[in-house]
Amino acid sequence: MAKQNPPLIETVDLCKSYFNDGMETPVLFDIDLTIREGEFISIMGPSGSGKSTLMHILGFLDTPTSGSYLFRGQKTRVLHDDELARIRATRVSFVFQAFNLLPRTTVLDNVILPLLYHPTIPASERTERGMKAIEQVGLTERATYFTNQLSGGQQQRTAIARSLVTEPDVIFADEPTGNLDSASGIQVMEVLQNLHSKQGRTIVLVTHEKTTAEYAERVIHILDGRIATDTRDFKRNHAKNVKHLK
Amino acid sequence: MLLRDTIQTAHRAIVAHRMRSLLTMLGIIIGVGSVVLMVSVGRSFERYILDQVESFSNNLIELYPTGYEKFGRTLDSVTYGDYEAITGLTTVKSVAPVIFITEKVQYGTEELSPNIFGTTSNFFANYGLKLGEGRLLSEADEKAARSVTVLGYEAAEDLFGQRSPLGERVQIGSRSYTVVGVMQSVGSALMQDLDTFVFVPFTTARSATGQKELSYMTMQAVEDDELALADVTLLLRQRHGIDNPENDYDKDDFRARSAEQATKIVGQVTLGLTVFIALIAGVSLLVGGIGIMNIMLVSVAERTREIGLRKAVGARGHDILLQFLIEAVTLTLVGGSIGIIGGMTLGMILAAAASKYIGYVPFVLSFPALLAAVLMALGTGLLFGIVPAKKAASLSPMEAIRWDK
Ligand SMILES: Nc1ncnc2c1ncn2[C@@H]1O[C@H](COP(=O)(O)OP(=O)(O)OP(=O)(O)O)[C@@H](O)[C@H]1O
Ligand SMILES: [Mg+2]
Repeated sequence: MAKQNPPLIETVDLCKSYFNDGMETPVLFDIDLTIREGEFISIMGPSGSGKSTLMHILGFLDTPTSGSYLFRGQKTRVLHDDELARIRATRVSFVFQAFNLLPRTTVLDNVILPLLYHPTIPASERTERGMKAIEQVGLTERATYFTNQLSGGQQQRTAIARSLVTEPDVIFADEPTGNLDSASGIQVMEVLQNLHSKQGRTIVLVTHEKTTAEYAERVIHILDGRIATDTRDFKRNHAKNVKHLK
Repeated sequence: MLLRDTIQTAHRAIVAHRMRSLLTMLGIIIGVGSVVLMVSVGRSFERYILDQVESFSNNLIELYPTGYEKFGRTLDSVTYGDYEAITGLTTVKSVAPVIFITEKVQYGTEELSPNIFGTTSNFFANYGLKLGEGRLLSEADEKAARSVTVLGYEAAEDLFGQRSPLGERVQIGSRSYTVVGVMQSVGSALMQDLDTFVFVPFTTARSATGQKELSYMTMQAVEDDELALADVTLLLRQRHGIDNPENDYDKDDFRARSAEQATKIVGQVTLGLTVFIALIAGVSLLVGGIGIMNIMLVSVAERTREIGLRKAVGARGHDILLQFLIEAVTLTLVGGSIGIIGGMTLGMILAAAASKYIGYVPFVLSFPALLAAVLMALGTGLLFGIVPAKKAASLSPMEAIRWDK
């Protein structure tokens, strides 16, 4: 079903290198990837293979070194800073591997942070939307707590609530269950599952756990900065992947 | 983002980072406060000194005996004959001879050790002293060497409290004097509290002390100060047999000075003082500025990560800049106000405290210094708050979030 939808994300020959003191660290190589609206994708791969790096680029948090990235058919390289900011505010959201919450700030204020920068959602709706998102991750009783008064799992759920609050087209979640016990992990995955199945939202997830990956309809494996396998076109790439995996 | 949201965000950030905000404000408070304090103390003291000098009539001339070889003894080079000769000059008027009496003044159990002037009524006019009640010293007092006295305002108050001293008798040394007058309060001049002075007729002082020569002499220039000074100096050199065409004051055994000269000297001193104060104020500004700079720089990493996160959820560059601008302006205004109020309060307290000891010290505020202090605080706040914020806002969100320099 998802395959019929128009592509939300398309990358062609996308490469990423980090530069530190003139030293180049190549991380991603020739990533060709198409993600259609409504897909639920898991990205797996060994530590250091470049999963987070790819997610950051797709989530508009970082820029590719070369190659092209099209979002809803639009070349992102030509977008101005304010247009990129608008996409971050309205269309994509991110759950970080390391929560990245504002310290000394309540759960509710953290969750509604993106709404401050949202161009159309009125200020009067912020608290209601924030509380709804908090309820979805089961933190209603903790809404007025400061984030440093929460457990790691609760902090991650706060971060997930923050990513839901703008109802974006696509949510990028970088190991969202990595810090949670299995019960709250399932709870979080069910939230994401619901967003996907009931609201048709696109979800891209990085995980190390097979059980978590199985929520997704499509699993992409990354190895040394390249897409090694992709269940969508497994057949097409099979021969090449076998060669790679050796 | 709405302006209201930006303001609220900035203010929440200030509260959320209490310590950082307080330390930043402390730098501003110290910088602004010490500038306001230093400059106002300097300006107040300058005003005080100028008031002291300007309170004399501008054509006042004083003539002192000098001489190093007589150090330790009462100088006796200026004589009554000199006084009589000077009264003959046409360029000076209102000449008054003075002999000091170094005795205690007693009334009942009260006792004072004031400056006691044996002089004539001209003296009062020369220093602009005015009678409060009773009468001044008269020519009759002078001729008959009467044992009468005129008390300074404070001297009268110290001896008699609320009672009127007129007609009462006070003891000066071994003699008893009738109080005939009390002066108006005039405060102090040239660091001397004129209100504590006590006056007796010149002839009376001469017989009481047995001193023939004069302690000093005062007069007024009729027109030109310089001319009068030259006349007096020439006359005395002639009378004392001093050949001094090169005008070397060390050769003279007297020194004539005008209040105008004193004003010029004081003007130079206060100019030096102003420069000195300005230097200290500059150092204070620097210290405050470095304080602000340090705390801003220390928090750059924290701020950069926060900016990265805000950008990640959709903040635009100008949302970020406005937030940090508002934060810096708020801290500056609050810190600056506290600094101004604190510095002024301390300055007023100091001026009031000093007034108790050296006579009325006015509190003077320097608006240019105030403005400079606030601009400095604002400048440092903006520079070290906005420049890193601008830099952070130009990074990609992820670069900023991972910032740890
Ligand atoms: N800012 C950076 N500068 C230089 N190298 C970096 C930087 N960030 C990441 N790398 C390198 O890029 C590679 C990929 O990192 P990335 O975080 O994308 O891995 P990952 O697949 O998410 O790993 P994990 O599963 O452990 O989270 C790693 O070798 C890492 O050292
Ligand atoms: Mg990672």
